[in-house]
Amino acid sequence: MGKKNIRNFCIIAHIDHGKSTLADRLMECTGQVSERDMEAQLLDSMDIERERGITIKLAPVRMFYKADDGEEYELNLIDTPGHVDFTYEVSRSLAACEGAVLIVDATQGVEAQTLANVYLALENNLEILPVINKIDLPSARPEEAKKEIEEVIGLDASYAPLVSAKEGTNIHEVLEDVVKYFPAPSGDRSAPLKALIFDSYYDNYKGVILFVRIVDGEVKSGDRIKTFRSEKVYEVVETGAFSPSLVPKENLSVGEVGYIAASIKTIQEVAVGDTVINADNLAKEPLPGYKKVQSVVFCGIYPLDGSKFNDLKDAIMKLQLNDASLIFEPDSSVALGFGFRCGFLGLLHMEIIQERIEREFGLDIITTAPSVSYKVVKTDGEEIYVDNPSHLPPTSEIEHMEEPIVKADIYSPPEYLGQIMDLCREKRGVFLQMTYLDKSRVRLEYNLPLNEIIFDFFDAVKSRTRGYASFDYEIIGYQKSKLVKMDILLNGEVCDALSMIVHEDSAYPRGRTLCENLKEAIPRQLFEVPVQAAIGGKIIARETVKAMRKDVLAKCYGGDITRKKKLLEKQKEGKKRMRQIGNVEVPSEVFMQILKTNKD
Amino acid sequence: MAGIYVHVPFCKSKCRYCDFTSFPDKITFAESYMACVYREMSMRREDLKDYKFDTLYIGGGTPSVIDESYIAMLVAAARKNFNLASDAEITIEINPGTISVGKITLYEKCGINRYSVGLQSAIDGQLRDLGRTHTLNDFVSCAKLLKGKNFNVDVMIGLKGQSEDDILKTIEVASVFGASHISMYALTPEDGTPIYTDYLNGELPDADEVAAMYETGVKKLKELGFERYEVSNFAKRGFESRHNLNYWRRGEYIGFGVSASSCVNNIRFTNTFDLDEYFKCILSGHLAVIDREEIDKDGQKEEFIMLALRTAEGLNVNRYQSLFGSDFKEEFASTISKMREYVEFSGDNFKIKDRYLFVQNSIIVEFLRLV
Repeated sequence: MGKKNIRNFCIIAHIDHGKSTLADRLMECTGQVSERDMEAQLLDSMDIERERGITIKLAPVRMFYKADDGEEYELNLIDTPGHVDFTYEVSRSLAACEGAVLIVDATQGVEAQTLANVYLALENNLEILPVINKIDLPSARPEEAKKEIEEVIGLDASYAPLVSAKEGTNIHEVLEDVVKYFPAPSGDRSAPLKALIFDSYYDNYKGVILFVRIVDGEVKSGDRIKTFRSEKVYEVVETGAFSPSLVPKENLSVGEVGYIAASIKTIQEVAVGDTVINADNLAKEPLPGYKKVQSVVFCGIYPLDGSKFNDLKDAIMKLQLNDASLIFEPDSSVALGFGFRCGFLGLLHMEIIQERIEREFGLDIITTAPSVSYKVVKTDGEEIYVDNPSHLPPTSEIEHMEEPIVKADIYSPPEYLGQIMDLCREKRGVFLQMTYLDKSRVRLEYNLPLNEIIFDFFDAVKSRTRGYASFDYEIIGYQKSKLVKMDILLNGEVCDALSMIVHEDSAYPRGRTLCENLKEAIPRQLFEVPVQAAIGGKIIARETVKAMRKDVLAKCYGGDITRKKKLLEKQKEGKKRMRQIGNVEVPSEVFMQILKTNKD
Repeated sequence: MAGIYVHVPFCKSKCRYCDFTSFPDKITFAESYMACVYREMSMRREDLKDYKFDTLYIGGGTPSVIDESYIAMLVAAARKNFNLASDAEITIEINPGTISVGKITLYEKCGINRYSVGLQSAIDGQLRDLGRTHTLNDFVSCAKLLKGKNFNVDVMIGLKGQSEDDILKTIEVASVFGASHISMYALTPEDGTPIYTDYLNGELPDADEVAAMYETGVKKLKELGFERYEVSNFAKRGFESRHNLNYWRRGEYIGFGVSASSCVNNIRFTNTFDLDEYFKCILSGHLAVIDREEIDKDGQKEEFIMLALRTAEGLNVNRYQSLFGSDFKEEFASTISKMREYVEFSGDNFKIKDRYLFVQNSIIVEFLRLV
């Protein structure tokens, strides 16, 4: 098919505004999947995605559509994640497209992430087509949503299709608009091959599968290819398209979106964002890559069973292959042994990776409390960045410390302003400004320390506004701050994996809550376990896990023996989830308990 | 040593905590049921002809609700079919309020020499809460009939509204009226029993409170001359239950009747829990076994340890050596060392220290393999 009949586009939206459902509907409408095979949220293939109802990985699909003008078009749709943590994934899919369908929920209007994604799309010079979704809901107010798009974003929304992805209303109109308003890809078929790797994935049989957008030239099996950054040459084994499963196709030509399998064995050999070129006909310039992603949250990941270190390494490397935003390096802890220090885009991202390691690789892991990256200026003038509290230099060598600050945008109905402002104050926020977008929506801007918001800020915003407010942030730099390292002692011994860096003013309440949480989370042992928080050797809080007093099966006569043994085996099984620290058995979840800073 | 167990699944009414197999509305079937039990015994006769049995335990349910002649015939059937020692311990579970002079006389005549009385509590309100049909007075009358005989009294701790004084009173009552043995066990709210809802509603004492009750009870029992020989069992010297000791020493036993369990030749098996099915099987000349599991060597070791560590005497390393051909101390050297705070050797016996007997699960699990 000629490139003039190809449309590459993505769908962007705030989380939960209906991206995946609209994608389902588009596939159904173009006959890509029959209604019979329809499984809700088809592109969300990971179990976690379906369970949580969110999209994490971008998933591409190719559709053929016979438009009202009588011509057949190839539509390549790339579904994108909507959560604030996954902006990087979004920016990658945008670079492979010419257009973006912007979904706005008719009941919610413009939200923080809507705006963030629109800006990303504009940066990538995409044509934007607004679509108003969920018009079937009784509380839908499509006209107001349109007005918000015009006023807040500055897009003409007068022609925006009013759809209900759930009911399948007006989907045809969206497809027509995609064909009409989105430009066909540019590029030169006869020029040397240039293909942007926008994602990759590891297949046990085929090796690394590259997801590419052909910008110039074409590629077919038998071609010798390489990437710009590496000298290694591979022979293409298979090319194909997404339907959404992989379907082999003779070649991939300019403008198309598809995959390349080239027996690429190891993970380090290819990088998402790099450009694939033909080894026998070298293109001169690489495509602009992506802006290097910044990890915001760091934590340690350790195998629960110390001997599984290599399995964990393998798992993390494989995950990194299709999630370039995950960074890691080997680390070790006195309490937990060998493991990895990993960097993530946010807490949700961290949770997802943790879950994927456990589910997809069947490994039991311990995740330590998340931390941000602090700048430490030493007395000798040296500046270092520390994201692991146990790597902090001794106090005597620290001149001062700085912490990352974000600018946060919070969108909320005006009735919750008080609650949000209280929350921001508690989190050491500095108020910048407040803008009334219309009668029912206010934008609040705050500067906030990153370490205050990575823990539970998002949940707190949601719970204090009954789910009405939304939130987005960007890091704006470092700021000097009175920070201290707080250690946790279990049964008198410092547990390095539980240490954290906190602001001096919040150290006492934080230490107290932490000890209380740990007291609840650590099961009673055969002996009493003191749980203490300390700063520089000074104890600031203490709780006690009392010794266990009853752990016995009351009766055990002839008919009970088999059942009682099973009960004991189950109890033993539970110990698998425990890690021995000193002589204290600690459930692996405890390391995350640190997150819960307060009770709301 | 080997034991015989017979399950009599009939009761006046079902107690609120009970998850045993019993049918309060089917006492009319008692005659035919017992006939089936005799028949089941004769069906096992040939297989067990080389066994010598030292104990017979008639449990339930409430064996004392059915006509005493059925019990007499049962003992006779056991003697007829099996090699039951002349000095065998023969126990019957009885409930206060179901007993008469006539019953006791016949029991004695047929050779029953030990009784187990379900008192549970000396506080009538608590008995009502448990769904027991008797009162403290019923127990007193019953105990008078048993005067001078060898009998156990069951005492429960962890009851709704129970105080440590209530426990002391219950133990005193049992002792004053001549019990030679007291079983003091914590109420276990099993899912599916009415009392489980009390548990879910937080109406029962918590683990710490139960532990305190237990300690109080242990102290009192000791004062009264009852030695703890298993976590829930206390006896005047020489009055330990031989039948139950056999379980904890991992001896062999054969069970008859619905839901009865057996362990013979390292095979554990259980009869059906369904009364109709039991009748059908036995009347058509078949055994009524529904579950059968062969215990391998590792499983045998684990059971042996789990059971032995319940007892005050603990695990005898010589016996371990002769049963399994390996040295317990060597085989579990690292676990023993890890648990050294909580365990001890007393001669050739390895045991959990007295004060940790009530938290024994955490210690025992260290000796189990991970399956």
